[in-house]
Order: sequence, then structure tokens, then C-alpha cells
Amino acid sequence: MSTAALTAYVLMWPVLVAVVLFVICRGFFREWAEARRKGEDLI
Amino acid sequence: MEGLETARFSALVVVGLLVLFYGGTFLISARIGKKEENADGYMTAGNNIGFGISAASMTATWIWASSMYASATSGYTYGISGPIHYGLWGALMILFIYPFGKRIRQVAPKAHTLAEVMYARHGRSSQLMLAGSNIVGSLISLMSNFIAGGVLISMLSPFTFTQGVFAVAAGVLLYTLWSGFRASVLTDFVQVVAMLGAVAVIVPVIFFAAGFPAAFETGAERLTPEQGDFFSSTAFMEQGAPYIAAVLAYAIGNQTIAQRLFAVRQDLIKPTFVTATVGYGAMVIGVGMLGVLALYLGYEPTGGDVNNIIPGMAAEYLPPVLLALFFIMIVGALSSTADSDLAALSSIMMADVYGQNVAGKEKANPRTMLLVGRITMVLATATAVAFASLQLNILDLLVFVGALWGALVFPVLASFYWDKVSGKAFTTSVLAALAVFLPVRFSWIPVDGAFGIVVDVLAVLGVGVVLGLMVFGFFGVRAAKVVGVAAVVVSAPFAVGSLHEYATLSGSLVAYSVSTVVCWAMSVRRREGFDFSLIARRTGDFDQGPKATEAPAPPDAPDAPEPAGTTHP
Repeated sequence: MSTAALTAYVLMWPVLVAVVLFVICRGFFREWAEARRKGEDLI
Repeated sequence: MEGLETARFSALVVVGLLVLFYGGTFLISARIGKKEENADGYMTAGNNIGFGISAASMTATWIWASSMYASATSGYTYGISGPIHYGLWGALMILFIYPFGKRIRQVAPKAHTLAEVMYARHGRSSQLMLAGSNIVGSLISLMSNFIAGGVLISMLSPFTFTQGVFAVAAGVLLYTLWSGFRASVLTDFVQVVAMLGAVAVIVPVIFFAAGFPAAFETGAERLTPEQGDFFSSTAFMEQGAPYIAAVLAYAIGNQTIAQRLFAVRQDLIKPTFVTATVGYGAMVIGVGMLGVLALYLGYEPTGGDVNNIIPGMAAEYLPPVLLALFFIMIVGALSSTADSDLAALSSIMMADVYGQNVAGKEKANPRTMLLVGRITMVLATATAVAFASLQLNILDLLVFVGALWGALVFPVLASFYWDKVSGKAFTTSVLAALAVFLPVRFSWIPVDGAFGIVVDVLAVLGVGVVLGLMVFGFFGVRAAKVVGVAAVVVSAPFAVGSLHEYATLSGSLVAYSVSTVVCWAMSVRRREGFDFSLIARRTGDFDQGPKATEAPAPPDAPDAPEPAGTTHP
């Protein structure tokens, strides 16, 4: 593998992690807001 | 490894970080705590958790401290493909079990444990087999997470291993004890944010601080041809393949996963599992890349112990603030899995032991159930702390338990789809599989003669079973048979005569094949079938008191189950 390919190979995972973190946080805060609006417990 | 020695935290800093972490999680759990907890909420949070929490919880539970250490070890040992052969297969198993998860929730929408469902399907022996294996597995997992905490604290602070174990055990018990599973999943969200956030920052920082990408060129000569090969067969045969076989069983048999399956809102099972698949894979492979970087750098872990690669690299290349973040990341990983183990153990003792076998479902007292759950958590913590001092080889133990669960996978899954499977077939097939697995796994019988060929043939059948099961969940029985048979035909010429040399792999595979063959043979001629709608009526809430909010059932949900205790097998 070339140096550029190896660099991309190593650094793509933290980027993917950041994307998943965003998706999970967005889902959590949407549900939190909805629960507050309805006056229900989040869990 | 000077970094590890010089970058230690002072006692005050470590205490501050632990107070910050465990104090914060305790405050979060205290916010949802109720004076009168609901017994079903304590086990499954009302079967109604949303996407954000459930995806975070599934991800956090599947990631534990050892998965990060092991992924880095795999990268350090097998080179650039090493982290893939640890993280990718572990991640894909979450994906592969979600179709089974949907089916399990379809027939048992309000269950608490998989063992409880087996009781409703077959009776006591299958339930106790599953519950017993889960108790052993969760205790081992709990112990290993406490060990990881003790090692980390002793490595980065003046505190001893034992003090570290006690600190982690007390911290986890503190925030999980009162609200059980509800506290576990809510704190999982915070923990997964800390873990994923840390990886997103730490890996690139270490990458550039260590002199990459230039170090790829200067360090290339340190890699063997196999380590530099992305398609290394050594990495697959020694790391990937045994892990595939073990982790499929782990995903199916482990109560921590099943508990989240029963807790998430039924229409959110797929997005939850898909997100957890990507989250787990990216995180574990990302951390594993530190092992690959260490290999290029010619890094020597302290004492030659590969478990020191990650802490060592962090200590060497991270500034103090990020080292503190790293510390929180590892503590978060081990705590999220440890609290899941406590919640799993308590629900097994509550639902399977007390609820189904001691009091009986109709007479089970929810208050007593809660007491049983909390006492279980305290006793499990004490037991795990006591065994942690033995510092056993955790990964070997877990691979062993995973292989044991391999004997359960086909009988458990078949019990949800095939009405002909009986309790007798379930029990006999599992016991037969264990009887063959143990001598193969521990080489009690020499495998260099005819027995070796028998093992190879059974192991090849096991390859077909594993791949067939994976395909079955998504594409049905016909595709599964085609893939299973094709896998046997393709692998047989290469595997027969040599597969028995890999004891871990062949042990796992024979567990799959023997249980499948025996279960199939005992069921195929059976005339009477099982009515799957009975399972929903035989499982359900124990506690009719106030509980967490419930959403309306999704459109594809089966009819609501009858009140608890209406029918028994």
C-alpha cells in the first residue's frame, strides 16, 4: 500500500467514529426534546 | 517506554478523574432513579427505549477495554489487516444478529431474557443451560473489566492494582445498583460520547505526533511480508476465523445484547443494530490502528506485554489533557460493559431464577424481585473483585465461553423459526456438542490420526453452519442452504487434513456442527409442532405497578401479550 493509501486507511476510522457520534447524539437529543415536550420520562 | 513512566498522573489527578467520571454517572442515574422502581423497568426499561440511547448502549456494551487492547495487539502482531480481523468481524456480528433479533421480539415482545423465552419454548433445562452459561460469561466479563481498570490505574498512577480494582468496582456498582438496566443504558450514552469523542481526537493526534505519514516509509522494513499484506492468510486463520466463530455465538448467547434487544422499541431494532455495527467497528479498528503504528515505529511495549501498547503509545505521544481523555475513554469502555454485566446478571436472577423457578411467574413479588436483583449485583461485584486478583487469561476464557455458546446457537435460533424443535432435541444437541467440543478444544484426544480427519469433517460442516446461519437471517432458508453447502464444498479440499491444527477454531466449529446435526436429526421426523404465539403469552411483565412510559406498539408488532402468568409450559 502506498503512503497516501495507508494514511487514508488509518485516519478514515476516526472520521467514521465522529459521524456515528453525531448520529447517536442527534437521535438522543431529539428523543430528549420530544420526551420533555410530552412531559414523559426519557427512559 | 519512558513515556509511560514519566507521564503518570498524580494520585490527586486520578482521584479527580474517577470522581468526575463516576460522580457524573451517579448523578445521571440519580436523576432517573425512582423511590419505587418497577421490576420490569429494572430489567428492560419498559421495552420502549428510543434510538439514541439504544444505539449508544449497544455500541458501549459491545466495546470493552479488552476489545481495544486486543485490536491493537492484533495490529501489532498481524500488521495492517490485524485490526480488521478483530474489529470488522465483531462489528458484523451485531449486524448479522439483527434479523434474528427482530424475530425474537416478534414472538416474545415483552420478555426480559433469552433464557426466559427458552423456558416458554422448551421448559426448564434449556432455560437453565442458557442462564447458566450467561452467568459464567457475565462474571468472566465483569472480572476482566475490573482487571483492566486495576491495570490501567496501577500503570498511570501511584495506586496499586488492587486499589484500582476496588475503585472501578465501587464506581460501577454505585450508579447501577438502584435503577439497574435503566441506569446502565442511560449512562451508556454519556460513556459512548466520551469514548467515541476520545477516539476521534486521540488517534489522529498520535498519528501525527509519532511522525506519520513519513514513518510509513521509514518503518516499512520492520514489517514481514505477511504483516504488510492486507490479505494476510495468517491474520485470517489465527485471528479472524476463530473470532468469527466465537463472536457469532457471543452475540446470540450473551444476555447483555439480548437485554438491549428486548429493551429497544420494536420498530427501532434495525437502525439501532446498524448504527452499533458501524460505531463498534470504526472505534475498535481505529484504536487497533495504534498497534499498526507501533509496529511501524518498532515500538517495544513495557515488559514485552502487548496489553501495554495502547497505554504506552498514549503516554508517549499525548499531552496531559488528552492523556486524561484517554484515561476516561478506557474507564468508560470498561464501566459500560461492567454495568451491562451487572444488569444482565441481575435480570437472570430476577426473571429466570426467582421469577420462573423459585416463586413461579404468577406468585413472583416485584419487590422481592428488585431485592434479588440488587443483592445479585452486590454479590456479583464481590465475586468478580475476588477473582480479579487471580489475573486469569481473560481472552482465553472468553473465547472458551464463546465456543460453549457455539453449541447453543443453532438450537436457540432454530427454536424461534422451526416448530419441530423439542426441548429434548435442544438439550441433547447442546450436550453432544459440548462432549465433542471439549476434547477438541483442549486436545484431550490426539488429532493427528483418524480422529483428526473426523474433527476436520465436523469443522468443515461447522463452516457451512456458521455461514448458513448468517445468510439465513437476511435471505431465508433456501439461500442459507445454498451458501452453507457451497461453503462446505469450497472449504473441504483445503480444510480436511489441516484444520484440526487450529484447536481454537476447530473446537468452535465442531460445537456448531454437532449441535446442528443432532438437533436437526432429532427434530426432522417429529410430527407435532409448536405454536409460537404461546411464547408471547408465557412471557411478559412481572410488575403491574407504575412503569416507564410506553409507546404504542409498532404496526408490525404481534398482538399484545396476555397478562403475566396466564399459561405455563
